Amino acid sequence: MAEARTPSQTIGPFFHEALRWEDGGNVTFAEPGRRIVLSGRVLDGAGAPVADAMMETWQLSPAGRTPAPATGSARPHGFGRVETGKDGRYRIETSLPGGELPCIEVSFFARGLLKALRTRVYLASEERVRADPALHALAGSPRLKTLVAAPAGANEYRWDVRLQGEGETVFFAA
Amino acid sequence: MNDMTRPDELDPPYLYPGYRSTALRAPREPLLELPAGALDVPGPTVPREFVRSGDNDLTAHGKSAPLGEKMVLTGRLLDGEGRPVRRSLVEIWQANASGRYAHPGDRHDAPLDPNFVGAGRTFTDDEGRYRFVTIKPGAYPWQNHPYAWRPQHIHFSLLGNAPVQRLVTQMYFPGDPLLDIDPVYNSVPDDAARRRMICALDLETGIEGVALGYRFDIVLRGAKSTPLGI
Repeated sequence: MAEARTPSQTIGPFFHEALRWEDGGNVTFAEPGRRIVLSGRVLDGAGAPVADAMMETWQLSPAGRTPAPATGSARPHGFGRVETGKDGRYRIETSLPGGELPCIEVSFFARGLLKALRTRVYLASEERVRADPALHALAGSPRLKTLVAAPAGANEYRWDVRLQGEGETVFFAA
Repeated sequence: MNDMTRPDELDPPYLYPGYRSTALRAPREPLLELPAGALDVPGPTVPREFVRSGDNDLTAHGKSAPLGEKMVLTGRLLDGEGRPVRRSLVEIWQANASGRYAHPGDRHDAPLDPNFVGAGRTFTDDEGRYRFVTIKPGAYPWQNHPYAWRPQHIHFSLLGNAPVQRLVTQMYFPGDPLLDIDPVYNSVPDDAARRRMICALDLETGIEGVALGYRFDIVLRGAKSTPLGI
């Protein structure tokens, strides 16, 4: 039955008007939490900025739970959607996810991507990330660090994404 | 070359040489397999207020009607077991009747239509049904290869009920001769799967004397999870 699925196609370069969510880079939750900024650049196989990607994020709430439905707001809690800019930069403001090993699920959509690229960014030390059983296949690999954001000042994290080539980010089989 | 197509894979590969833009954007390293079910968790709950009345009528936002063949586009959003995906966000976008997007990046020398932006959104109902009113988009040339033209298509973004169901795809029209030369359409390896991206003419779902009817059902992966409150 799963074979009846509708296939994926590229988002193309012209999605912005339809898929731009007002304030989509400001991720909200029902409960208070430590606000953080996650930002970085998305680069292609030649090291050039990917200026026409859409990035989506989904994460646990500060209390470590599935984000509660939003009330009195037009946008869902816990979900971020932003575009990359001319220089390939993205920026989201969110709350530090709860749970033992804070991480954010990330998907990229772009011209030239016939299906989404899925990955995950951890907001924890590389040593702790290495102990995550979900990543055991990477336990001895230098590539694991591509999933770890670097602290960049108080409440800021930097995470660059390389779609291809040297330092290629680890992506997940969908 | 590592195109990472698995034999049972229904979706296109990341690296598809016929579509030039994949060359520098397709990952070359093997993909990491997550534990089974890792993405079958509840997804975001989009508030009802997110969609406003009229957001599903792309013809109603100008001073008068847009140019083009008016059409009613209906269908159902289902999972792999044929169950409706209920109260889930559907977003669409498309070119105008002359094949031009209302987008600053679109350099095609065809006229903009002041009465058409080409963006719509709606929720599926409890049976997974959705409905849009729009116009049939035009075909347009692009730079992928000599004489390249995209077939007429409407872009769909489906949030689904769990991250594993998230899908972005394109809907094509029956009998379009440009499908044969389109690398995006043909990047899907299986012919039967490709044809599932083509809508069906369904006149009686249109409006007699006003709008053509087209039907397009979309099938997502199965998921055990649903968003909270849905």
